[in-house]
Amino acid sequence: MRILLVEDDAETAYYISRGLSEDGHNISTARDGREGLRLAGSEDWDLLIVDRMLPEMDGLSMVQALRGAGRITPVLFLTTLGGVDDRVHGLNAGADDYLVKPFSFAELLARVAALGRRSPRLAVETNLKIADLEIDLLARTVVRGGAPIELLPREFRLLEYLMKHAEQTVTRTMLLENVWDVHFEPNTTVVETHISRLRSKIDRGKSIPLIHTLRGTGYTLRVPI
Amino acid sequence: MYATMTGITFVILLGVIFISTTRFMRHQIDDSVNNEVEEILAVSPGRDIDAIRQMVQGLAQHPSGFYYLLQDSKGLAQAGNLPAVDPQPGIREWGETTKAGNSVLSAIRGRGVILPGAYLFVGWSTHQLLEMEEMVVGTFAWGLAASIVLALAGGLIMSGRLMHRIETISMTSRSIIGEDLQQRLPVTRAGDELDHLAGSINAMLDRIAALMNDLRQVTTDIAHDLRTPLTRLRQRLELAVRPDEDSAAARLTLASAVVEIDSILSIFSALLRIAQIESGNRRIGFKVVPLSELLGTTAELYRPMAEENGQLLIEAIEPSLHVNGERELLMQLFANLLENALRHTPRGSTVSIVARRIDRRAQVSVIDNGPGIPESLRGKVLQRFFRLESSRTTVGNGLGLSMANAIVKVHDATLELADAAPGLRATVLLETS
Repeated sequence: MRILLVEDDAETAYYISRGLSEDGHNISTARDGREGLRLAGSEDWDLLIVDRMLPEMDGLSMVQALRGAGRITPVLFLTTLGGVDDRVHGLNAGADDYLVKPFSFAELLARVAALGRRSPRLAVETNLKIADLEIDLLARTVVRGGAPIELLPREFRLLEYLMKHAEQTVTRTMLLENVWDVHFEPNTTVVETHISRLRSKIDRGKSIPLIHTLRGTGYTLRVPI
Repeated sequence: MYATMTGITFVILLGVIFISTTRFMRHQIDDSVNNEVEEILAVSPGRDIDAIRQMVQGLAQHPSGFYYLLQDSKGLAQAGNLPAVDPQPGIREWGETTKAGNSVLSAIRGRGVILPGAYLFVGWSTHQLLEMEEMVVGTFAWGLAASIVLALAGGLIMSGRLMHRIETISMTSRSIIGEDLQQRLPVTRAGDELDHLAGSINAMLDRIAALMNDLRQVTTDIAHDLRTPLTRLRQRLELAVRPDEDSAAARLTLASAVVEIDSILSIFSALLRIAQIESGNRRIGFKVVPLSELLGTTAELYRPMAEENGQLLIEAIEPSLHVNGERELLMQLFANLLENALRHTPRGSTVSIVARRIDRRAQVSVIDNGPGIPESLRGKVLQRFFRLESSRTTVGNGLGLSMANAIVKVHDATLELADAAPGLRATVLLETS
């Protein structure tokens, strides 16, 4: 992916761009909001990563200006620790996702991958399929190997999110935010217990497990290689 | 202002006195004049003019303050000590320089009676009355002047004292700003507005002092609570950089250091969140939050975890409760209470979340049947970093309940910890919307 990183702190910028390059992305960096806005508007990017606090023009105004100019490039907003309102402000300004600094690299990569995959085609798809697992988003039904599976509403949403991000890493916080709309860190085992329930309904007794735990990072739904 | 008010009051007061006094004196004159007329007429019930003339002449020779006049129908004075006047019946009065027909009568008030072929008038000098009037007006003018002067002087003295007290307050405030937060403004025994103000400012200072104290306490607590993980972190990093440490082992050590840092960051994050929640006017962003639904989601979030831990989670949530607030914070509040209950109770315990409407409020209780919190410590667990000795070994940073308390305060709600005999009952009361 071609990613524009707008970050004024040199060390953070280096850390992020090096990690993303190693993951196979193509990174450019802008040091302030004005330069960021100019670059974002003049070239085609797959993703913008924008820090909240920037010299010249802060991240919020930059994203607002960009959206005001009709640019729909996905934006990942970086906010500071403890900023209760930063998330809401960032999303209101037009950002697509946010990440609280400091974050783990695995979290950043997972978010970047999730944003990069967003495409119009996917948004209107109502039937998702991976291996012999199929879900119908309109009828709210799940079938694996031809046999219907009964899921609770929340379990369905959890599976839906995993299916929409199949073969990607989905972190615990991504699940909390998108499935439960929870924006704080509850006990670490909370998500794990939900996943293990879902897994028992989807994978139990099947020869090919689809829901996998990535230690220390999160989960992924995929056909094992 | 005071002087004007005093002046107006004085004018009204003296006006009343003036009018009532002169009216009374005129009345007196009228009474005596009437009596005198009656007496003269009593001489001749048949209204014989000659008899009346003799009587009037006799009286006029020894005037006892009265003035008499008897004139005939041609307007000529027949008897008495007054010149002829225009014959008018009833009470009449001539001022100091009033003309009466072609003669000058001055300062006389009296009564005229028309008799057959004659006119009788008996009067009394009004000099006294006029003097009285003059005196009243004079006194009145002096009094007015004096009262205005007094009012002005009083006002000056009053405002001088006021200025002095304000100056004292200002001086004390400045010295409080300068160094001593323990000082308080003087409150006099007057109990007036200024004392009221001083009292309010003192209450505010008490609050500020308490907050400062809190701040000092929190700073100490943060330093104290971070010392242990930071020390551990340092030891691990030191191990990792030893020259004889092989790279695989060093990598493991560094990975554990990252975990350690994450736990330190989570403490910072929680502290910053509490601080942010407590500061500023969050109520502006409040919306109607479907409480019942939110509690259902929260309970559902923790249910699998509770069941995995062998704990029973019971929901008794009255439907369609709505409150004003911030969804995210309220969810964190109840998540913290629920997590707290699940964390501090053993396997086999029951945790209930009960919500119901009581009048115009929603009451949400999280009740467990675990070990509970001793009464003497219930207030303390809401403070940052406070942890019961018995729970030192469980996970958590001692900030969950203080965050819950901060969220409760922003919502103008109350959080009460009580004995559930056995166990703990945490009750939140919120205004419904």
